[in-house]
Amino acid sequence: MTERAGPSCYPLRAHVPTPGSGAPADSDGAALVTPRGPVIPQERLRNFSIIAHIDHGKSTLADRLLELTHTVEGRQMMSQVLDSMDLEREKGITIKARAVRLEYTARDGRTYGLNLIDTPGHVDFSYEVSRSLQACEGAILVVDAAQGIEAQTLANVHLALREGLTIIPVLNKIDLPSAQPEVVMEELENVLAIPREEVILASAKDGTGVPDILEAIVERIPPPHGDASAPVKALIFDSHYDQYKGVVVYVRLAHGTLHDHDTIRLMASRAEAELLELGFFRPQLVAVKQLRAGEVGYVATGLKSVRDAQVGDTITAARRPASEPLPGYQEAKSLVFAGLYPLSGEDYPLLRDALEKLHLNDASFTYEPESSIALGFGFRCGFLGLLHMEIVQERLEREFDLDLIASAPSVEYRVELTHGRGALAVDNPALLPSVSEIEVIEEPWVTLNIVTPSSYIGALMELSTSRRGAFLGMEYLDPQRVLLNFEMPLAELIVDFYDQLKSRTQGYASMDYEEAGYRPANLVKLDVLVNGEPVDALSLITHRDKAPTVGRQLTEKLKELIPRQMFEVPIQAAIGSNVIARETVRAMRKNVLAKCYGGDITRKRKLLEKQKEGKQRMKRVGSVEIPQDAFLAVLRMGDS
Amino acid sequence: MEPDATEVPVPRPPVGLYVHVPFCVSLCPYCDFVVLAGAAARGPRSRLASFVSALATELELRADRLDGAFGPPGSAGRPALASVYFGGGTPTLLPAGEMASLLARVRERYGIVPGAEITVEANPGPAERGDPAGLARAGVTRLSVGAQRMDRAELRRLGRRHDPDDVADAVRAARGGGIGSIGLDLLYDIPGDSGAAWASTLDRALALAPDHLSLYALTLDDPGAEGLTGPAGDHLPTTAGARRWRERSRPQQDEDRAAEQYEHAVERLAVAGFDGYEISNWAQPGHASRHNLIYWRGDAWEAAGPGAHAFDGRTRRWNAARLDGWTAALAGGPGRAPALPPGGHEEVGATAAAAERVVLALRTERGVPAAVASVPPLVDALRWALDAGLLTTTADDRVVLTTRGRLLSNELFSRLV
Repeated sequence: MTERAGPSCYPLRAHVPTPGSGAPADSDGAALVTPRGPVIPQERLRNFSIIAHIDHGKSTLADRLLELTHTVEGRQMMSQVLDSMDLEREKGITIKARAVRLEYTARDGRTYGLNLIDTPGHVDFSYEVSRSLQACEGAILVVDAAQGIEAQTLANVHLALREGLTIIPVLNKIDLPSAQPEVVMEELENVLAIPREEVILASAKDGTGVPDILEAIVERIPPPHGDASAPVKALIFDSHYDQYKGVVVYVRLAHGTLHDHDTIRLMASRAEAELLELGFFRPQLVAVKQLRAGEVGYVATGLKSVRDAQVGDTITAARRPASEPLPGYQEAKSLVFAGLYPLSGEDYPLLRDALEKLHLNDASFTYEPESSIALGFGFRCGFLGLLHMEIVQERLEREFDLDLIASAPSVEYRVELTHGRGALAVDNPALLPSVSEIEVIEEPWVTLNIVTPSSYIGALMELSTSRRGAFLGMEYLDPQRVLLNFEMPLAELIVDFYDQLKSRTQGYASMDYEEAGYRPANLVKLDVLVNGEPVDALSLITHRDKAPTVGRQLTEKLKELIPRQMFEVPIQAAIGSNVIARETVRAMRKNVLAKCYGGDITRKRKLLEKQKEGKQRMKRVGSVEIPQDAFLAVLRMGDS
Repeated sequence: MEPDATEVPVPRPPVGLYVHVPFCVSLCPYCDFVVLAGAAARGPRSRLASFVSALATELELRADRLDGAFGPPGSAGRPALASVYFGGGTPTLLPAGEMASLLARVRERYGIVPGAEITVEANPGPAERGDPAGLARAGVTRLSVGAQRMDRAELRRLGRRHDPDDVADAVRAARGGGIGSIGLDLLYDIPGDSGAAWASTLDRALALAPDHLSLYALTLDDPGAEGLTGPAGDHLPTTAGARRWRERSRPQQDEDRAAEQYEHAVERLAVAGFDGYEISNWAQPGHASRHNLIYWRGDAWEAAGPGAHAFDGRTRRWNAARLDGWTAALAGGPGRAPALPPGGHEEVGATAAAAERVVLALRTERGVPAAVASVPPLVDALRWALDAGLLTTTADDRVVLTTRGRLLSNELFSRLV
């Protein structure tokens, strides 16, 4: 991680008064559309993103651009300005896309409007990256001058090229003693065909090269095109919910001019709303009178449901609507599924409300009610990836003060039933039909790109083989580093592949993956039975060859974790009725307070109360009490 | 007193008195009691003299309060004490003469019924066992000896200095001195323990013909972690050495072994004619500790000395553990009258108090009347325990723990609190 921010004190989304409620009114109204300067004509607008591998300095560069253009004054400046979520600051990653309007007076003496649209940097969020990129004409590609190209660098560049964006390559951190700009420029040239003369050498930390980056934005990135007098077409690329302003959507205006008194129509949902406010991000919301073709800004819709103003929908003006919407986006696709359950059953309504509220700000996860014998009532949730799952769980726990338990993550299987009775999608192993009803099971595969020092090739080959991976090929980035390509079932990737990748390469390797369709596989459902009762939350789908090993590991681990009960408890792993592994938790023999005299009574009562609380926190399977930790530990189990 | 959930507790006068004497020749690494050792306990810098004087003051001040609340001893509302118990520490480090004058003051200010049980805890080493004949003359009727084990190597492993022969000598001296009831404390589930080693300790202890046996599974607690060692806490902080010893010993304990050792003791002591009248206590007929029964029956008792706990039927009160603060308050000073020492108290709500009474009563062989087991809110837990074989109903319609129930009693008790 790079530099860490202090406490979150900067009001990123401070409530700015709307015009008419005491806002700074400009004397000549529409002529001044920003509080700080005149209307900037379309040819002086530039819309761009910064793309980078995690930790290569994206957020620091964004901070520097904000500072240099006086968008954020020094006294308000803190690191990672655009990462307003505590979680983002702690993890040093960007989770949500953000946008900010910079005003920059270039060396030609003219003032340009630069819209920086921030992008998340983790593989799970490439969907959000591509959304952001569609609102841009250019992208700054930040590469760490010491680390060189990483997997995410490649993935992001490919996304940007797919969108036809102009790329400004920047070698960051050239102030580091370990920086090797020559080597990395060679890599860029060989692997991405980026000519070295286009590369800007910079240090976002000390400011070196940042003015050149601003000039390059103006010179190299084309202005947006689009007809300001045509009917309004604005693409929603993100949204958040504000309790006063309703759904606030982030838009890129493709055509037309949107006025602050317009009634808007959402072309897909057909919802109409009198818009409450529109404006720019600086980075807090600053209201303006109009947004014109090519601009990036926000529209406060007053709508109460994000479903009425979904990301990817097109906004038009009701008075002169456009006939066709913009192409929009593919819907975010959940790849990883898990059940989220409240630790104590009475928190279920709280969890439901929390999911609803969180979903307003993160529409990329899905949730629907489910119930489990072991865990009670909860929700089956779909996530973009494991990190996304971790983040959603953590946000629910922190922002809504919930204690949650998650079942083992799963992918979505496709099951073709026997006797032509159709097919179904299964994302919860407990719901897999019995063996006799299944004709074929198919599982999702991914192609995997790993960038690693070449000394770890052997270790990574071994890792991917153990995960049913197939080697596709490799390419040397430079004499020391190599790009490896594998194919692998997604289910094998989501267990703890990333952790294993990092630990087997001392943290040097990076990875990225893309979906590669469904393939049939010899998969079985492995059930875990505690005292003869199946624990639905622990059921998992695994390859038949791996089932005995997984079954043994599961039962051994559970034996360690399930405390002794008043009776002997058998733990079994079974495929159908065929038990493939068994352990026994012996009966408890002794749980007694040896001494209980006058001075012990208060103390011992407290001890008993603690034991009672401990029991209440346990989940019951039949008559067996299982601590939450057992489920969590099984979740974390991987092959070591 | 029988437990009754509907009863509203009112303060009652004490029928027993506990006096804590916080000195030992050396500290045992497993012991959590309030104890000072070394120079504080023996020699020219010993703090025994100032302790005795402060103790006398506390006994007076506490008696004054009881006089105010219940009238003078012997009056209708103020029964004389049926039991006085000197615990420690090693109370036998106090000279027998001091003990005699303390008891005389207690008799005067609290009253002591004829035939009362007057217990002193003792350690068996020659330098610490005191003068049993002198104690007997002072009125002491019962000696509780910390034998722990009857094997030299095992005693060393426990950090004890005495030898098994010392235990025999102490018992002999007590008998010869005229102490009428002698108890031994023993420990099982110690590091490196075995069934055979335990059986041998038990046999060698029985060979000394004790009247009473307390058998404790070694318990390695951390009072600091329980929040009991603060300035007003009733425990002293555990020393670093003791902490290390406990950490080393914990993995050497074994639940199954301990259960087998307990079960062995139950059988062996029944054969020897002992009555297991409480989870950890066995006695020959007529030798059950009347003092400890006060605790388990929910009767009221008074207490004095650092870290000592008292109960008046409604409020549990304790003195802070630190000797300095305790002594300073009681000694008074220029312009400052002697005052009761710092400490804490706790009033247990009616429901919790009822549960507590059931838990304590179930620790004893008398258990609770079957009628109690059918009253909410305890009925579910008690029915569960009957079904699980932890409880059984006796011929005289009482509900008591089975042997298995004693070993697993927390499984029931944690459902009752």
